[in-house]
Amino acid sequence: MEHLLYIGSLMCVWIIVSVAVNLVIGYGGMMTMGHAAYLGIGAYTAASLNIFLGLDFFSAMAAAAVAGAAVAALTLLPLLRLSGFYFALATLGLNFVFFDLFHNLAPRVEGSEGLHGLKLPAALASADTRFVTTLLITVACILAARHLVGSPFGRLLRATRDRPEAVASVGKNPTACQITIWTVSGALTGLAGALYAATLFYIDPTLFTLNASILMMVYVGVGGLASIAGSILGPVLLIGFTESLRFVGLPSQFLGPAQQGLYGALLIGLMIFRRQGLVGKHDFRE
Amino acid sequence: MTSGSKGLYLDDLAMRFGGVQVFEHVTFNIPPERITACIGPNGAGKTTLINAVCGVFRAQSGRVFLDGKSLDGIRPHELVRHGIARTFQDVRIFPYLTVLENVLIAMPNQRGEKLRHLFRPGGGVSTQERRHREDAGALLDAVALTDAANRPAGELPFGRQKLLSLVRAVATGARFLLLDEPVAGVEVELVPRVMALVTKLARVEGRAALLVEHNVDVVREVANQVIVLQGGGIIASGSCDQVLRDERVITEYLGRIYDA
Amino acid sequence: MNNLQVLAIGLGLAGHYALVAVGFALIFATLRIFHIAHGTVFITAGYVFFLLHRAQGIGLLPSGVFAVAVAALLGLAIDKAVYLPILRRGGGMFSVFIASLGVSLIFEAGFLAYTKGVVSVARTGMLDILTAGSVTVRSLDLAVLAIVAMVYGLLYLWLHRTKVGLEVRGLTDNGPLAAVVGVNVDRTRTHIFLLASALAGVAGVLTAYDMGIGPDTGTRTLFVAVVAVILGGMRNLLLGAIIGSVALGILTAYAGFYFPEWLTFSVFITMILLILVRPQGLFG
Repeated sequence: MEHLLYIGSLMCVWIIVSVAVNLVIGYGGMMTMGHAAYLGIGAYTAASLNIFLGLDFFSAMAAAAVAGAAVAALTLLPLLRLSGFYFALATLGLNFVFFDLFHNLAPRVEGSEGLHGLKLPAALASADTRFVTTLLITVACILAARHLVGSPFGRLLRATRDRPEAVASVGKNPTACQITIWTVSGALTGLAGALYAATLFYIDPTLFTLNASILMMVYVGVGGLASIAGSILGPVLLIGFTESLRFVGLPSQFLGPAQQGLYGALLIGLMIFRRQGLVGKHDFRE
Repeated sequence: MTSGSKGLYLDDLAMRFGGVQVFEHVTFNIPPERITACIGPNGAGKTTLINAVCGVFRAQSGRVFLDGKSLDGIRPHELVRHGIARTFQDVRIFPYLTVLENVLIAMPNQRGEKLRHLFRPGGGVSTQERRHREDAGALLDAVALTDAANRPAGELPFGRQKLLSLVRAVATGARFLLLDEPVAGVEVELVPRVMALVTKLARVEGRAALLVEHNVDVVREVANQVIVLQGGGIIASGSCDQVLRDERVITEYLGRIYDA
Repeated sequence: MNNLQVLAIGLGLAGHYALVAVGFALIFATLRIFHIAHGTVFITAGYVFFLLHRAQGIGLLPSGVFAVAVAALLGLAIDKAVYLPILRRGGGMFSVFIASLGVSLIFEAGFLAYTKGVVSVARTGMLDILTAGSVTVRSLDLAVLAIVAMVYGLLYLWLHRTKVGLEVRGLTDNGPLAAVVGVNVDRTRTHIFLLASALAGVAGVLTAYDMGIGPDTGTRTLFVAVVAVILGGMRNLLLGAIIGSVALGILTAYAGFYFPEWLTFSVFITMILLILVRPQGLFG
């Protein structure tokens, strides 16, 4: 039972991340392959503030969201001048840049590779309260994202995705719109990073590599671009499926590779047959 | 005409691409409350003129003044705020937004586009959005697009997209509208609606329009003043009657289009 | 460890990168495909070679040749089975890129499961060491450089003297136009993938023999090659790949000795800076 609650909490974390990533890829039209960096920034910010400065975890989460937003904005600004493909390639590079930064500079507990020892409040301390709290936060994020997407800003965002020069011709600033959504996405991802740390009790740099960014792409891609529902469906289906592999009797050493191989096949299948994903409302138009 | 007058004033504009001098010594004023037409053969540089005013390309020489203030250095998305909106010959509507959304997005000063209003209860977003929808609906009605309001704009035939791009520019509220061939490709029965809309903008709302046009009948119907651009410069300007009776204009331009 | 020695090591690494880089550049410049799976082709050849030579005891040359052939066919198969279907269904550079990532994930997973992450070295014996002053090299390093030089020479002849090579150069300059002028793009495409993949195969064999390979060596090497290609530019395929590979070889050698924990960082910061400042390369 506790394991199920753990999986549920994990699904919630990845739902928030998928929504955040879909906001920039599906609604904003900006391909990101490096969001794992922001997840890590959120996780490390929250964990460090909580473990080393004794900050209560909810405040640490807020700080994680701010840190995620700040780092996201900072990393975006130099890349704005790049065209679609080179932009994506540069974000891919961010994974590796941040991995070494986490590995070399991020705090760690003596004698281990990562951080543990979070002091969690009652609302997050046991598996069931943690699941409920995480679920509530996830629902709040989903509602906020839906509100954003259905608003005039959401309309402006979609127009920026489709025809940035035409956006300028009606008097709106497409670049400001892109920066805004990317920053919001960074905040959500940072927040998810904090929840991730609380769920796992332990974080280290290997959690925030290209593999994590690929996971995000698969969750969003399978669920569907420009669909909040898709960003819920993707992680739930895929995490659920991978968990069920455990019961099929696969030896544990094959679990990781099997998951990776499956995700690789999914990416290929999506690109050939269904680029808009399961319930997506947008396609990569090239 | 001096640079201190009211209106959109083009002062000795010259434009050069590669080795070709598209036009030079272009000087005229687009006054408010009036409709100015710019006619001339294909390739004379009429669209380039609009591009030059909007700063899409930097003019070789000359400047543009809006009510006496120079437009130098204004960035593309700031033009509307200063009071200038334009349409494109190739339309450029947002294909995956609905027809209604294409108009809504052009409305200026939307609170719903700012995050700080969106997430504040009582931010006034829905009230304003409702009002904008009514206004947008009226504009769509003026060009017979109401039935298509909820369809993706990309599905519309070219002529209707043209109409959409026109009302989108109108929706910006800009005082000076630079319209690039607003009736080209539009269904014949709907052309009078365009003329009525443009005339109302000028007479009732006091806005100005520059019509880049081929259709001389439309020009005759609505234009207060006409500029003829040809062979790298302005060969005639003045009221409709004056220009359309001008010898040079008849031989070099009108004669040709009536022969064709 | 002196600087000259590090330099020598860098040049040795450059040799390995040079074969991967030129193949990658060939495909990207002519077909606009960002072939991440090129690293997969590289590593598969390495594993095939390891299996045949080290595990089964088959001779050096037959194992190597077979591995290169497998690589060539694998690269072609990826194009036909994955890339072409995407392009035919209206996908573009992006979708192909992501699918290529998918291919590399699948193969990497397979190798991970099979090898359990252990590095496999195909070499069975010890190597001769040569010393010149303060620099020590292995005979293998010189052999690698000789092979690379020979391959590049053949490539040059192919590009400038054969009909297909000329068509390839035509594609490098102007893809769509070449299709109009009657270049058989399909057949040229096949040649390009076979050749580039074979080159990656040779690199895979050499690397497996020399330093050994792990499941993620393919993607690592591929990305270094990508940065090399970005640096050297694609205006002159051969020269650009050489210059980029030498630069990256020296960078990775120095980083490997003086700040190994920042090695990955260095390579990718270089990539990002290059993309920002001059995506067409320093010589493109």
